[in-house]
Amino acid sequence: MSENLEPNVVAFLCNWCSYAGADLAGTSRIEYPPNLNVIRVMCSGRVNPLFVVNALQQGADGVLISGCHPGDCHYMEGNFYARRRFSVMKELLEYVGVDARRFNMSWVSASEGAKWKEVVSGVVDKAKEAGPFTEFRRNKIDW
Amino acid sequence: MINLEKIRDIAKNTVSRDDIKYLIGWRQGTYGFRVSPHFVRKPEEAEELIFSPLCSNNLATYLTLAEKRPVPRGQQPDTRKVAVMVKGCDSRAVVQQLVEQGIERESVYIIGCPCEGVVDQSKLEEKYPGTFGQVEARWENGKISLCFPEGKTEVVGEELLTQKCLTCRYPNPVLADINLREEVAARGNESFADVAELEKKSTKDKWSFWQDKFSSCIRCYSCRNVCPMCYCQECILDKLNPTWVNRSVNISENTAYHLARAFHLAGRCIECGECERVCPVNIPITKLNRKLTKEVTEKFGFEPGVDVEAKPPLVGYRPDDKENFIL
Repeated sequence: MSENLEPNVVAFLCNWCSYAGADLAGTSRIEYPPNLNVIRVMCSGRVNPLFVVNALQQGADGVLISGCHPGDCHYMEGNFYARRRFSVMKELLEYVGVDARRFNMSWVSASEGAKWKEVVSGVVDKAKEAGPFTEFRRNKIDW
Repeated sequence: MINLEKIRDIAKNTVSRDDIKYLIGWRQGTYGFRVSPHFVRKPEEAEELIFSPLCSNNLATYLTLAEKRPVPRGQQPDTRKVAVMVKGCDSRAVVQQLVEQGIERESVYIIGCPCEGVVDQSKLEEKYPGTFGQVEARWENGKISLCFPEGKTEVVGEELLTQKCLTCRYPNPVLADINLREEVAARGNESFADVAELEKKSTKDKWSFWQDKFSSCIRCYSCRNVCPMCYCQECILDKLNPTWVNRSVNISENTAYHLARAFHLAGRCIECGECERVCPVNIPITKLNRKLTKEVTEKFGFEPGVDVEAKPPLVGYRPDDKENFIL
């Protein structure tokens, strides 16, 4: 894969922890890769596993889902449900031949700006290694 | 041995009951090895019922497909039960529907048919091409005898059984109000060998395998329509706003469709193999669904369609679920 590929990573961040964590990273002037397209959701439990498939179809090279640490969910148990769903979804994606490096999930709390940087750099590096996603990307038809 | 007279007598008695609306069973199809579902509303219609190695249709599908018309003012809704004939695998579908409260226990009368394995239609048509007369089949001491209309009888063994029957663990209905015959012995045990074989391949090989399969999909949605667990009133595939899966038939949308269906059946698929049977382009859909069954069994210790009291795994959680995949 080309060395200077800038991967497209779609990140679903929960409003209460990870989004605030990313915000903290910004206000603390921590530098991290700019390849992320952040989508704010109210809870990681709101992320439908089909969002991941849809993101990959529409041009993502990697997907990150991030929520509160288990037990810290603003809605008490949303991230527990998300954890179950995505542990299954991850296996399914790997089974049909999507690179395991494209799907990531993490817990980042509102105070972990430094961890956020680590997570993002890791995810972007992995997406870079995996290269551009072509398997089932939706082709734009040029009429 | 199957005694058809006994089956028809039981059916007649069942349909004659006041609290039974109709009975769903099998009857001889119009040609060849085909068998079609039979809705018995009057006792005399029970004469056509059969139960043979050709009865592969999963009749549990019809429980949730029944039309629920609005009741005219002043009339009481029909609360009579629906009687359904189920094989071992079909009974798991009924149990899973009960677990998910898709149907109510009071609204269904389950007639269990312990089954020694059903025949794969495609294998039969390959072996006996161009058979148009109605063929009768029955189990005989572990073998299957086929009676052709010209009077010829052939005895075939396990090689014509469907794949799911060769590893069947539930030949006897898990839940039944009445059983048609004595219980039969289970044939095999679950090892998920086919899934493990595909899992071992490299990412690239896995994708080229599935790309080959998915690209032949014509999106007829037969697999969804025949599935006893696909009973949502509104399916995301029929929705336009939001459009989860586009209408176009190409590798991208086909993959999205198959992933969506597989995920929606995670921990719910009871492996009756109907999706694969009806698929006009022979996509190995059960291979996809069995992978998720394997994961759910290993991760959450849940086996779909076995216990009526069980809680579906993906609508619950345990605080100590494994999270080794999380960064």
